[in-house]
Amino acid sequence: MFLKFKSTVVAALAATTLMGSAALAGDLVINFDDLNPGPKKAFDDAVAKFKAENPDINVIVNNNDREAHKAAIRNFLTADAPDVTSWYPGNRMAPFVDAGLFQPVDDVWDANGFHDDLAAIKPTMSRDGKIWGVPYSYYQWGIYYRKDIFDKLGVAEPTTWAELMSTCGKLKEVGVTPFTIGTKFLWTAAGVFDYINLRTNGYDVHNDLTAGKIKYTDPRIVQTFKNWEQMINECGFVDNHASMSWQDAIAPFANGDAAMYVMGNFSVGGYKDAGLTNDQIDFFQFPEITAGMPRAEEAPADAFFIPTNAKNPEDAKKFLAFIARPDIQTEMNKTLGQLPINSKAEVGDDKFIQEGFATVSTAAGLAQFYDRDAPAAMAKAGMEGFQEFMLDTSKMMSVLERLDQVQEEVYK
Amino acid sequence: MAITDSTTRTGPSWFKRNKLAIAPWLFMIPALIFFAIYVVLPIFESISLSFYSWNGLYRADGSSTAEWVGWDNYVKLWSDDRFWTSLGNNVLWLVLFMLAVPLGLFIALFLNQTVTGMRFYKSLFFFPFVISQVVVGLIFGWFYNPDFGVVGSVWKALFCEETVNFVGNVTFKCSSTPPDILSSAEFATYGIIAAGLWPQIAYCMILYLTGLNNVAADQIEAARLDGAKGWKMLWYVVLPQLKPATFIAVVVTVIGALRSFDMIAIMTQGGPYGSTNVLAYYMYETAISEYGERYGYGSAIATVLFLIMLVYISYFLFRMYQDEKEAR
Repeated sequence: MFLKFKSTVVAALAATTLMGSAALAGDLVINFDDLNPGPKKAFDDAVAKFKAENPDINVIVNNNDREAHKAAIRNFLTADAPDVTSWYPGNRMAPFVDAGLFQPVDDVWDANGFHDDLAAIKPTMSRDGKIWGVPYSYYQWGIYYRKDIFDKLGVAEPTTWAELMSTCGKLKEVGVTPFTIGTKFLWTAAGVFDYINLRTNGYDVHNDLTAGKIKYTDPRIVQTFKNWEQMINECGFVDNHASMSWQDAIAPFANGDAAMYVMGNFSVGGYKDAGLTNDQIDFFQFPEITAGMPRAEEAPADAFFIPTNAKNPEDAKKFLAFIARPDIQTEMNKTLGQLPINSKAEVGDDKFIQEGFATVSTAAGLAQFYDRDAPAAMAKAGMEGFQEFMLDTSKMMSVLERLDQVQEEVYK
Repeated sequence: MAITDSTTRTGPSWFKRNKLAIAPWLFMIPALIFFAIYVVLPIFESISLSFYSWNGLYRADGSSTAEWVGWDNYVKLWSDDRFWTSLGNNVLWLVLFMLAVPLGLFIALFLNQTVTGMRFYKSLFFFPFVISQVVVGLIFGWFYNPDFGVVGSVWKALFCEETVNFVGNVTFKCSSTPPDILSSAEFATYGIIAAGLWPQIAYCMILYLTGLNNVAADQIEAARLDGAKGWKMLWYVVLPQLKPATFIAVVVTVIGALRSFDMIAIMTQGGPYGSTNVLAYYMYETAISEYGERYGYGSAIATVLFLIMLVYISYFLFRMYQDEKEAR
C-alpha cells in the first residue's frame, strides 16, 4: 500500500518536472559524471564539436560528480530523464535494463558499423540479446613496476608465473617488498583476484563465476586461491595494506620499499605526483599462469545510454553515433589519457597508453572488473572475502564457503 | 436570570468555549504534521518494505519493481552472520559506552574546585564534545594509523631502526610489525568505541558539573559534622543529589551508543570484512550504499533495530510518566 503511494508520488513528481523543464523539440539533455579537469575537458570538447556539426540541436549538459551521479541516476531515470546519460556496462547496467529504464540501441550499431569497430566490447554492452549503449573510453590494468629497481637487480619483466616468483625472491633478498596494495576500500584486492583467476582459468570461468554459474568452492576457483596464496607467501604484499587506500599504497612504491603494483592506468598520474619519472616506472602484462590459456584482460569501459523516458531519442541516437566515431574517440581519449574503443581510432603517444593499447587490443576477452561483472551484493561480499583471505590465508575454505552461501541468495 | 439568558442567546462562539482544550492542539499541529510525514509514515513504510524484495528502482512508467516475499527477509536475517555480528557490536557499544558516565563523574569531581583559571581547564575538557563526530573519527583514524599515526610513530621509536633501502631512500626495519588496530577484526570495534568515548565523557562531565553546582552546601556541611568523608560522602550524600544528572547522563549515553553510525562510516566503513558493523550501518550498507540496493533486506534490519529501540524508548517514557505523576 505504501509502495503504491510512493510510486504515485513519483509519477506525479515526474509529471510536474516534465512540465517544468519542458524540453523543446531540438533540445538534447546529456547527463555526464566527471568533474575532474581532464575528463570534463574531453567531454566538453566533444560536445562543442557535436554542436558545430549539428547547429539545429540545442545541447544542454548536466555534469555531476561521479558519486553524486551514481545516487542521482536511480531517481532521474524515472522522474526527469535526460536524453543521454553516462553509465557503466556489464552488471552495472543490468538493474536498469531489467527495469526497462534504458532503450536498446541496436539500430545505432547497425547503421554505423559498430559491430565490427567496437567488436571487443560488444558482449559487455549486450544483455538479453540486445545492445544497450555506446562506449567511449576504457583503460588497461596490469602490473606497474619500478624499472630502476628491476634494472639495478638485472631482472627482466616476468612473462610466466615461475618467472614472477623468482623475481619476487630476488626482490625480497635485497629487502624490497614485491607488491604494494591498499585494500581499505576493497576493490583493489578484486583486481588481483580477477587477474589470477583469468590467468588460471580463463575468461569463460570469470564470466561464469560472476554470473553465478560456478560455485566458489569449485576446484578451479580453489586453484585460483591456491595460486594467490603462493603469491602472498612467495611474493608478499606490504604490511598494513588493509588500512591503506590505493593512493596511500603509492607511498611505499614511490619510496622504493615496494616494486610492483597491480593497478589500472588511472594510477600513473599518482606515481608521477609522488615524484617518480617516466624512466623509473614501466608496465608489463600480468604473467601467464596456465600455459596456453588465451590472455584475457581487465578493461573497464565507460559508456553512454539512452533512457526509456528520453524526450528526444532521435537526436540522442545521433549523439551516440557521433561519440563512437574514430576521430572523436581519438581526440577524446587523448585528453582523457585513456584508450579509444573504436578500433579505427588512433592512440596517444604516451608509453603507457601505447603498451595498454597493445595489451587490450590483442586480448582474447575483456573483463569489466569483478565489481562491475558481479551483482552488487555478491561483489561486496566477494571483495570482503578477498580482503579477509589476504589478511589470513588459512581462512581460505571458510571464506569460499561463505561466498557460496551469499551466491545462493543473490542469484535466486 | 436575565443575564444568563442574554449570555446564552448571544453566546460565546464554540471556539471561545473550548479555547483551553483547542489551543494546545493548534500549537502542536505544525510539529504533528511534520512528525507524521518524516517519522511516523517512514516507520510504517519501512516495515511494509521489509516484506518485499526491491532494488530501489521504478520502471519507466513509475511503477515499483518490488516483489512480495513475505517473511523471507527475516528468515535470511536469522541465518546471516553479519547481522549477528552487528547486533553483538551494538550490545558491546551499549555496555562499553556506559563507562562514560563514571569517568565523566570523576572528571567533574576533579574539576569542581576553585583554582585560578579553572574555567579555562574546564573548557579544555569539554572541547572534544564541541567538535563534530566526523572530525573525531578522522583524528582517531590518523591516531591509530600504523604508518604515520601516533601509534605507528611510537612503535617506530621503540621497535624499528632507520635504514637505507635498495634505491637509497630512508626506510624503517621493524623487529615486529606495528599493530593495525582499525584493520584487525578483533580490536577495530574497541578502537572505534574508545574514539566515541572521548566526546561522550566530556558530555557526561558537563552534565555532572552543572549537577554539582546544585548540591546543597548545608547537607555537605551536616554530613561533614557527622564525620562523613571520601567515598562515604560521595556515595551517601553527593550521589543521591546527583540522581537527575545521572539519569540524563545514562539516557544521552544510550542514545550516543546507538548513534555510532558516523564514527563507523568515517573510521572503518564497517570493515574489515563486516566486523565493526552495527545494525544502523549494516542497514545503510545493504540498502543505500553503492554495493547495496537491497531495500527490502535493509528495511528488515531497520525494523529489528526499531523494535529493539522501542523497548528502551518505552522504558524511558514510562520513567518520565512516573516522574511527572510524582511531581504532581
